[in-house]
Amino acid sequence: MKQRTLSRRALLRGLGGVAVGLPFLGAMADSARATAFPKRFVVFFTGLGTVKPAWIPTGTETDFTFGPILSPLEPYKKKAILLEGVDYESAYHGPGDPHQQGIGHALTGTELQEGSLFPYACNPGKMVGWGGGISLDQFLADQIGQTTRFPSLEFGVQVQYANVSARISYRGPGQPVPPEDDPYQAYTRIFSDLGTDPEALKRLRAQRKTVLDAVTGDYQRLSSRLGTSDRMKVDAHLEAVREIEKRLDAPGVIGGSCNPPVLGAPVEPLENDNYPEIAKTQLDLLAMSLICDLTRVASIQWTTVQTGKVFTWLGQDEPHHTLSHSSDGDTKRQQALIDIGNWHAQQLAYLCQKLDSVPEGDGTVLDNTVILWCSDIAQGNTHARRDVPLLLLGGAGGALNTGRWFKHSGAYHNDLLIAIAHAMGVPVTTFGNPAYCKGPLPGLLV
Amino acid sequence: MTHAVRLPWLLGGALALCAAAPLAACSGHIGDPPGEDTGEAPAFQCVGTIPGKSPIRRMTRFEYNNTVRDLVGDDTRPASAFVPEEEAMGFDNQATALGVTQILAEQYMVAAEQIAARAASDLGALLPCDPATAGEQACATTFIQTFGRRAYRRPLTDDEVSRLQDVFSWGRGDEGFPKGIELVLQVMLQSPHFLYRVEFGMPDPVEADVVPLSHHEMASRLSYMLWGTMPDEALFAAADEGRLGTKEEIAKEARRMLDDPRAREAVANFNAQWLGLSHLDNIKKDSSTYPKYYEGIRPLWRAETLAFLEDVIFEGQGDIGSVFTANYSMLNAELASFYGVEDGPATQSFERVELDPTKTSGILTHASVLAATGKPNQTSPVHRGKFVRERLLCQILPPPPNNAAFNAPDVRPDATTRERFAEHSENPACAGCHIKMDPVGFGFEHYDGIGLYRDTDQGLPIDDSGELVDTRGIDGPFEGVVELGQRLAQSEEARQCVATQWFRFAYGRVEGEDDRCSMSEIQQAFAASGFNVKELLVALTQTDAFRYRRAVVTQAP
Repeated sequence: MKQRTLSRRALLRGLGGVAVGLPFLGAMADSARATAFPKRFVVFFTGLGTVKPAWIPTGTETDFTFGPILSPLEPYKKKAILLEGVDYESAYHGPGDPHQQGIGHALTGTELQEGSLFPYACNPGKMVGWGGGISLDQFLADQIGQTTRFPSLEFGVQVQYANVSARISYRGPGQPVPPEDDPYQAYTRIFSDLGTDPEALKRLRAQRKTVLDAVTGDYQRLSSRLGTSDRMKVDAHLEAVREIEKRLDAPGVIGGSCNPPVLGAPVEPLENDNYPEIAKTQLDLLAMSLICDLTRVASIQWTTVQTGKVFTWLGQDEPHHTLSHSSDGDTKRQQALIDIGNWHAQQLAYLCQKLDSVPEGDGTVLDNTVILWCSDIAQGNTHARRDVPLLLLGGAGGALNTGRWFKHSGAYHNDLLIAIAHAMGVPVTTFGNPAYCKGPLPGLLV
Repeated sequence: MTHAVRLPWLLGGALALCAAAPLAACSGHIGDPPGEDTGEAPAFQCVGTIPGKSPIRRMTRFEYNNTVRDLVGDDTRPASAFVPEEEAMGFDNQATALGVTQILAEQYMVAAEQIAARAASDLGALLPCDPATAGEQACATTFIQTFGRRAYRRPLTDDEVSRLQDVFSWGRGDEGFPKGIELVLQVMLQSPHFLYRVEFGMPDPVEADVVPLSHHEMASRLSYMLWGTMPDEALFAAADEGRLGTKEEIAKEARRMLDDPRAREAVANFNAQWLGLSHLDNIKKDSSTYPKYYEGIRPLWRAETLAFLEDVIFEGQGDIGSVFTANYSMLNAELASFYGVEDGPATQSFERVELDPTKTSGILTHASVLAATGKPNQTSPVHRGKFVRERLLCQILPPPPNNAAFNAPDVRPDATTRERFAEHSENPACAGCHIKMDPVGFGFEHYDGIGLYRDTDQGLPIDDSGELVDTRGIDGPFEGVVELGQRLAQSEEARQCVATQWFRFAYGRVEGEDDRCSMSEIQQAFAASGFNVKELLVALTQTDAFRYRRAVVTQAP
């Protein structure tokens, strides 16, 4: 097992004037003893698919050049795995329209719930509920996210809406996990405790423990008096409060490469043209949350599927969703879609660069991370959930065969989710609905 | 009480049966075979007491902000920073959609800490007693009992008081008396008895497993439905004295509450969600096409519609027909200037302004509706028609099929909007659905993409004739938006749609099989009142669905 070393000098160098007290140092020492290098899992979700001819590389499985969309990631292609021919097979089963199915299946690999919450396409009056199972990020958070300050962190960039077409993560069937759209709220939540005077922090934690003990008691007693469906709801709340309580003493430390980003003046989080600025801040926060080991599981969701977002900063004047419906022969609009894909790839490259700049053992934080870029559908003018765009970045601590372009045909994405779980050190045999599982997707694991 | 109920209670939404044959022609797939006609549902007898479902309801952000304002005088609106509610059926308060996740639990904790710290900084205002004279323990106990009754909206049990006393004692031991009070507040503000409407009903069933709500539970149902906040002292007193049992007692309180300003806030909250006004803040308009547009006008559009609806419902005749036909609006100086209204209000306060009756038709000619449904640089007859179908008639339209290219046709200098959208009626693959939308939307064509009246479109004369098909009773051609408004005002379907939307919003859930009789009573009372919205709200407090619930059946964990 590799040992993490962090010299006192390195620590002090990184302090940057922020007072960090002994409790943090103690916690850090514990953390360093208990773990080698943490593996981390990140979801990067963009809606509305891609333009396949511009998405795929040229070359061979091991020697390839990215196409126009992925070209910003060229510096990281040795750390990348591009997957072709993988289907969201499960998303051809169960209720929901193609967008609802695609986003709800991408990380759960199982059917959406029947329900009367959201209307869907193609059949007036037909309705669908939430996602039908735990998503991979939340599943991994339960496995590898138990010692960090946060089990997982969910970032949004103008996700704004709150329905089945706007959720990628689930704690379980019918339990969507919302992302935080406002970077200032996210910053406060993640980093504000880190600068607190240690004595005050110790007292705050003791008070919180007293209060949360009383609060969990209330939820427990109430739960036992409720019928089944109300109890599920109250139990989920109870579980969330317990998670806070459990992590009151979780380590958190500023130092080394861990320096909370400095935020500029607040901007309106939902204003269309603020999208790029908010995105950059959210990526900074996400990267630093991983580097500071405040969480090992994170996601960033770029708006919703069927988004009305207009990429004005690329000189566009039509909403992304409208563009996505254009025919393959509509060169102008297809180019606009390629530009959008390329812009997203630039954002992913920015995240990679942040993580790759921090050394960890023989490699970098990126090398110990897996980033999954996924979407809801393959392309907007067919809404197919087959041969969907999928890209992995990072090596999961050497567990993945990176630098590859794998051409599958008719593979099931559940097997990709299984393979990622294996790479993260959680060797499951199935994920999602077992009917769509055969075993880890061949070729990925070392 | 026994009466027969036929299908009309069931409108659109979750249980819509795609019953009407013409709907099948608009299935969302180009080339689908026609569907089957399910025919008319059999008559249904209303016998006995049938309450429908009563899922536990969590506060929305709107309700949380109002409640802490009324409970501790904290008007900082802390919930505005919480994650948004998961929406369902177009509303943010649907019980099945509102779960609690890690991030929300943390936000509850942080908000509770901040509210408690602010409240504890002025103990004189918070406490009902003086700890110096009454004694710290005794005063704390009095506080727990009196404040707890308002926070949990019912008297606390001895057990609850005792546990909160323990929290107080720990806090006092840690940092003194104020900290003890502060921590008690933190616990209360995170308790399920504060954050949820917890209901068990009375112990004795009226029949089988049907129990009346307790009077305190009824007080909370009334206050959150009609005010979006906790009960006031008068309502607490009525609950304490057992005066919220009969229909008459409940109706009396409901009428009192509707005369309170808080009812206006709650009704505005419904109106904003019903008409989708919250999305106005995020739309984009092209200012080169529309020189009178600027971002700051968007909140005023919303404010106009809310002020107008408030005026109709609380100051005017209160009937839903006026919402679609009134020839006045509520404007301030800035909006009057935007619309080009001469002799409009001189200040930024909203005032009633009479408008040209040949061009004005209630909310249908508000910029909030006209701009929200338009494209950045042009009107969208499709979306305007869709708005009428979905929001005002409670019909459900499928999104375009996967293989439809739905880029709006580019604006051309030589063609009107109607001409540019001709393919929707000429191509049979499009017409199946678009016949339900575009011909309705064409009726709005005298209003441009930001809701301003225009005489010409690209310099060409405007034809604003339209046609309604597949409605219940208002089919046929019409000339312009004013006639459309008159049709809607006479439409049984539109009236029932309003009542159905209110049912969902008021009860926090979609109507189900067990709600047939409750829904029928609501619809009948609404009709009997001449479709008066305040009377509709009173009727919503009179049903089995509102006054009763099923006894809770617990299972061993």
